[in-house]
Amino acid sequence: MITCLGDMFFPEVGVAMVRLLRRLGVDVEFPPGQTCCGMPLFNSGYHADARAVAARTVKLFADAGHVVVPSGSCAWMVKAEYPGLLADDPALHAEARALAARTYELSQFLVEVLKVSGVGSTFSGTLTYHDSCHLLRGLGESRAPRTLLRSLEHGELVELPGSDECCGFGGSFSVRLPEVSTAILDKKLASVEATGADCLVACDAGCLMQMGGGLSRRGSRVRALHLAQVLAPEGPP
Amino acid sequence: MTTRASFLEDIRREMAKTRGLFEASTSPRPAAPQEAAEAVRRQMLERWPQALERFREEFERVAGVFHRVPSLEAVPALIGEIARARQARRILSWSPEALGVDLGARLGGEGFVVTSAQDADPREGERRRHREEAAAAEIGVTGADWALGETGTLILVSGRGRPRSTSLLPATHVAVFGAPQLLESLEQVGIMLEALHADPSGTMSGAVINFITGPSRTADIELTLTRGVHGPKDVHAVFVEGR
Amino acid sequence: MSETSLGAPFAARARGALKDAYLQEALGIATTKFIGLRRESFEDFPQGDALRDRARAIKEATLQQLDRHLERLADNIERLGGRVHWAATGDEARDIILRLCRDKGVRMAVKSKSMATEEIELNEALEHAGVKPVETDLGEYIIQLAHEKPSHIIAPAIHKTKGQVADLFSKELGGRFEADPEVLTKVARAELRQKFLEADMGITGANFAVAETGTVVLVTNEGNGRMVTSLPRIHVAVMGMEKVIPSMTDLMVFLAILARSATGQKLSSYTTLVRGPRQPGEMEGPEEFHLILMDNGRTRQIAGTLREALYCLRCGACLNVCPVYRQIGGHAYGHTYPGPIGILLTAMLKGAPSVKELAHASSLCGACKDVCPVRIDIPRMLVELRDHLDTKKIAPWTERLLFGMARRMMMRPSWFRRGASVARLAQKPFARAGRLRALPLFFGKWTATRDLPAVAEKTFSERWQELRRP
Repeated sequence: MITCLGDMFFPEVGVAMVRLLRRLGVDVEFPPGQTCCGMPLFNSGYHADARAVAARTVKLFADAGHVVVPSGSCAWMVKAEYPGLLADDPALHAEARALAARTYELSQFLVEVLKVSGVGSTFSGTLTYHDSCHLLRGLGESRAPRTLLRSLEHGELVELPGSDECCGFGGSFSVRLPEVSTAILDKKLASVEATGADCLVACDAGCLMQMGGGLSRRGSRVRALHLAQVLAPEGPP
Repeated sequence: MTTRASFLEDIRREMAKTRGLFEASTSPRPAAPQEAAEAVRRQMLERWPQALERFREEFERVAGVFHRVPSLEAVPALIGEIARARQARRILSWSPEALGVDLGARLGGEGFVVTSAQDADPREGERRRHREEAAAAEIGVTGADWALGETGTLILVSGRGRPRSTSLLPATHVAVFGAPQLLESLEQVGIMLEALHADPSGTMSGAVINFITGPSRTADIELTLTRGVHGPKDVHAVFVEGR
Repeated sequence: MSETSLGAPFAARARGALKDAYLQEALGIATTKFIGLRRESFEDFPQGDALRDRARAIKEATLQQLDRHLERLADNIERLGGRVHWAATGDEARDIILRLCRDKGVRMAVKSKSMATEEIELNEALEHAGVKPVETDLGEYIIQLAHEKPSHIIAPAIHKTKGQVADLFSKELGGRFEADPEVLTKVARAELRQKFLEADMGITGANFAVAETGTVVLVTNEGNGRMVTSLPRIHVAVMGMEKVIPSMTDLMVFLAILARSATGQKLSSYTTLVRGPRQPGEMEGPEEFHLILMDNGRTRQIAGTLREALYCLRCGACLNVCPVYRQIGGHAYGHTYPGPIGILLTAMLKGAPSVKELAHASSLCGACKDVCPVRIDIPRMLVELRDHLDTKKIAPWTERLLFGMARRMMMRPSWFRRGASVARLAQKPFARAGRLRALPLFFGKWTATRDLPAVAEKTFSERWQELRRP
């Protein structure tokens, strides 16, 4: 599942993910017609609309084996909210629950399903990791990404103080209350820059848009990258 | 004006619309509270030394001052020392009956002004007088019904001979207790309170129970901790051996 | 969406708070400290998680038999010589207190910190009726002198510097006081000691009321809760009816986690259990005890979407971790209860439309739910409030239009592709090295402070042809 932000703004993340998975011997399929998981609609309270999108998505991935998502929030949406949204239709509800059970955020897929704790990649420099809210609290995952980052040759992982604090994205929150969103972001980026890391890593496109957008605006030398890009930076996909 | 009936009627109407969010139950309570309390006491006959150890640790952690004396006879002298160290003269105390020792008799002659509470029903004017004395006192001496190891807490039940302000108005509070008062956990406190309330006629003559965990404190100004806001600035706990 | 962030009252207040340099510093220090204290306290407390589950279960179970517990509570209080009053609304609760003051000749009332009395704006009503209310919790005393409202549920004057407090005391009390918290605390102690001894009435809230024994429980640190319930001749406690709990055994579960959640203490300095007026033979204590049970919108939520919010212990932990609260503080919320739980409580007390902006004052990060001692799922209820606001067409039409367009794009891949193509074209004048720095109109809300990545030359879907393997 590529996600709407991934498709439009960060296709290179999707490419890196495909590269990475193939390198690990996984057969990758991409069901056509993907748009969005519907979370923006859901979070802003348009639940009837979100339900329609959920129903569509469930059908789209009906034949998929494992569904791997380079985004904690989208994986969370499918796993935690889809069944409830489709509760009124027993057949769809069952499909949603089945889909939820076979949907994984990327780092969780690597560590829990493929059982890899390292992918043999190299990285030169220091990295620091931001815990995206939905991956951390929604899916309870903070170890898998760190395990994978620590396995990098030559790379050094530095803990980010307050890594579990929100980056201020929150979807439409970022433009509904842009000054508050930016104030939260500034606090986050101050912590990031204080670590002295070369690279900031996260597993969520929204967070990367927010933090990357802030870093780039202030001309920071810190690069914001998705985990997939760090683990499989180059080579044929 | 809303009546009890209409208020409850509104609630019942809403309650009828839902089964609730999930199956849940309240805490299981001791079926025979007095027996459960007795069981706690028996348990503590063995375990009081550990509870005391823990109490001291926790009490000192909240800035309490811990003392240990060999017997009740030694308590007045200790109180005298504490008072002298503070250049304090006015001492307020629970009644000799409630405290187990008559401070007035022992310290009155040493230049201290000791006011002990009385056990009899207060008469006309006595309440006002007591209040004035309590407001002027510098040291307040009480017993304690329980001393909780888990948190370093002194638990005081008010009543005859045990006015509430003795542990509240004076700047220094001294609480005297022995092994029978020691408890280890909040859970045990719960059992003792269940038993106490199940049979209030014999054991509770007052309307207030105070859990005291260290001195009065606040951090309301710039999160800077200061002690002795409205209640005592210092709290002392005196453990009396052999009780 | 423009309505929610351009000039709307909440957004404006939030912006103002962001510009207040001292507030920013104070909030940062205070919330960081509280977070650390709470964390350490629970790290040291392996039973904590299980106790939180228990506490949540007790609250839910109590709601399932709420009427019975309230009846038991009332019967016990009356048996002990106290009086119970039933107030369906905040107005009624206020009127009951005013009437008591009139009937009993009350000229001055000392108050222990009570959010319930803030909720019903009691102080203004008392003053208007010629009764002098004196706040005795140091933080509340400070803001009362300053004619302000509390900015945090448990640390009301968190937004004031010690210099500001010193100036305030000097001005209001006469004298010149150093900007030293020790000195200022001493000043307050002396001022308020007199008031405790002279007041006719003591007014408190209640953290809990134990139905089985008729006990009202006050959790404090300063000792003012004890003063207020022992020295004046009348004690009035105002309590939201959801604060009732069944037994002393249940009480211990809450005591074990409440202070830890609020300030990181194992227990607060004082936990005071009050059963009615003074008993025969007691030297001290009030002659009269009154408990005012208040509804004020709570009953409506028993079967409502905000039912879980009725579990709230008013510990303030959610405020301390909320990225929004930490940036804007309590006053910006504009209602009695700020922070994450405050948005829900405001909706409960004043109706959903009152939070049409506040419902969006959250990035839905979930930190609040993580620290709540009774595990209230605040993010879920915020999203449900948003759903309610949208279905009832309370959200502005421009927003609904935009989201309607988003929906269309999500339902039809052809529209999604079209959207990407249009964006690719429209962004050309603004794109530099793959980034967009200054976009017009609504998009400017992002680019005012952050770069935006440009829509990719080829979306992933468009690249799949070359990526797929036969």
